[in-house]
Amino acid sequence: MKEFTYTITDPLGIHARPAGLLAKTAKGFSDTVVTVTKDGNTVKASQLMKLMGLGVKQGNTITVAAEGPAEDEAIAAMQKFFEENL
Amino acid sequence: MALDYKKCAQEIFSHLGGRENLVSAAHCATRLRLVTVDNSKIDMKALENVDGVKGVFSSNGQLQLILGTGVVNKVYDEFLAVTGMTAATKDEVKAAAAAAQPLPQRMVKAMGDVFVPILPAIVASGLMMGLVEALGHAIPSFAGSDWYGFLDLVSATAFAYLPVLIAISAARVFGGNIFLGGVIGLCMIHSGLINAWSVAGYEGAIPTWHLLFFNVQQVGYQGHVIPVIIAVWLMCQLEKRLHKAVPETIDLFVTPLVTVLTTVFLTFTIIGPIFSTAETYVLNFAQWLITVGFGVGSLLMGAIYPLTVVCGLHHMYNIIEAGLLAGEGGMNIWMPIASAANFAQCGACLAVALKSKNAKTKTIAIPSALSAALGITEPAIFGVNLRMMKPLICGMIGGAIGAMFGAFMGIGANAYGVTGIPGFLIVDSSKILPYAILLVISGGVAFVLTWIVWKEDVPEAAKASETPKASSLPAIDCQPGAVYAPVSGTVIPSEEIPDDTFAAGVLGQGVGIQPSEDVVVCPFDGEISSVTDTHHAVGVASPDGMELLIHVGVDTVAMNGDGFQCLVQEGQQVKAGEQLIIFDRAKIAAAGHPDVVVVLVTNSDDYENLTIQTGACKTLDQVIQVK
Repeated sequence: MKEFTYTITDPLGIHARPAGLLAKTAKGFSDTVVTVTKDGNTVKASQLMKLMGLGVKQGNTITVAAEGPAEDEAIAAMQKFFEENL
Repeated sequence: MALDYKKCAQEIFSHLGGRENLVSAAHCATRLRLVTVDNSKIDMKALENVDGVKGVFSSNGQLQLILGTGVVNKVYDEFLAVTGMTAATKDEVKAAAAAAQPLPQRMVKAMGDVFVPILPAIVASGLMMGLVEALGHAIPSFAGSDWYGFLDLVSATAFAYLPVLIAISAARVFGGNIFLGGVIGLCMIHSGLINAWSVAGYEGAIPTWHLLFFNVQQVGYQGHVIPVIIAVWLMCQLEKRLHKAVPETIDLFVTPLVTVLTTVFLTFTIIGPIFSTAETYVLNFAQWLITVGFGVGSLLMGAIYPLTVVCGLHHMYNIIEAGLLAGEGGMNIWMPIASAANFAQCGACLAVALKSKNAKTKTIAIPSALSAALGITEPAIFGVNLRMMKPLICGMIGGAIGAMFGAFMGIGANAYGVTGIPGFLIVDSSKILPYAILLVISGGVAFVLTWIVWKEDVPEAAKASETPKASSLPAIDCQPGAVYAPVSGTVIPSEEIPDDTFAAGVLGQGVGIQPSEDVVVCPFDGEISSVTDTHHAVGVASPDGMELLIHVGVDTVAMNGDGFQCLVQEGQQVKAGEQLIIFDRAKIAAAGHPDVVVVLVTNSDDYENLTIQTGACKTLDQVIQVK
């Protein structure tokens, strides 16, 4: 399992649009599960509703983890996504 | 830090315009629902700012405060304590909202509320008592048998101790301790007191207590209804006030002690005497009334007889009957009046039983009518006719006509104690046929009138299921895979939504709706899967696995909740048509955002095919179908 932590800098946090993009990105790695954890709550990054339900705001620190055959690629893609979008 | 429920309840209460502005309170899974006298006295802004209150709005005459699951019930309990209100069911709140009823109706309703829970007891006893008494008159040897004694005891118990049952039930209705209520009832029929039923035949002077300035006759309240209800009402008022005033450490023994002592004292010194004085007047009036000629007296007495039953005065009529028989060649002309009145209540009750579509009403009305035919009318009057009012009045008319007929025909009886069908056993042998006609007239008139006049109220449960849907939306049957418009307006394909991310289908396929109103309702039966903190978007999951995102406006997340009210919580079960979000279109426009309501199936990849219906739509028209 690979993981990294990230502190959100986007003023609006993970709202609908970035959540949608994030879910789409996370779905791209077959058999590899990407999760996002905030304050002990872990959701699958591919589940848009759960992701939005986390209510991630600017300044929150989250943990992104990937597990499966493509976890290296997945975690790299996630890191890139967060740095570019959030 | 956990929310201080008491403080929250107190703050809410402080903005409601005082206790007298509050009618009732109830709560559902997330909301505190209040009915107020005057909504304009409520400080809505201040309410929204109370810590713990997530939203405030008013609909269907109810003020609804969103507090959230697990919180609302605790705040509600505190709210009842703060306001001194009694617990109301949602239906009661709705009923109260439907009409702030005038006092007499509220009193009748309170009486009904007291009687309904004890109906099984009095229906059973009433039927049994009627049968046992009839058999006792029909077969004289049976009257003295062990079986008669045993059955008489069993059947008479509920009536003999009726004040206790009433007191317990009334304590519950008025929000007091039911066991204290029971004590009040027991005091009033204590075996140390002379039984009210046997006062007439009591040998010697009735013993009296001298308490302060009062001379209290040691007579029980057997057969009474109203004094018991008044006493218990008084008790509940006292108890609630004392609970507030007495320090907690001594509350447990001071409050019940003072409550019971004060209530019983006032009952025996003031409430009781007022009633026994009234009873004496009624008795004298009744005695005079039946001497009025041309059947007019009987007509009036036949009409008001059921009302005297309501007041529990009918137990005294034996005195009149005994008096009538005592004279030389005396004839009990009271019995046909009572029979007409009772049989008319039976007819009215039977009409309700046959006309009603409500299974519960039927199950009460049928045995009650039977019991009334045998001369025991309490179940029919309290359980059915009085609650619905019109049958009672129809019964009074039937009773009046029957009683007048009885007077014209000179019907009389040679004994007393039974009415209705068992009355055949004591009616003078020359008057058997007229007596049969009397029963047919009274029962028939009441039956026909009730059948014509009485219309069943739509059951409250049916109304209740409609009321939450504010704009009177029709109930719809949700088909699997169908999404119904959460808002009225113009449907556009998701590609035309003025936002690249939505248009590209990144969040899923679906539609945009250019709204023509400002309430988002639930698009199918399901569960709220997520709610954004900014209240502009909500996720709904259907039981068959569809995930739907309803997002009000584009970039509206930047408004940070201003202009949005979300009325649901994550995990809440919702029905199609239930309100989810109220939004302010003017504020969205002022903030420079499009107000298109985005409706997307976020797991549209799971489906082969998604079709949409574009163009003008009304709320709950189908807009999306997935396969």
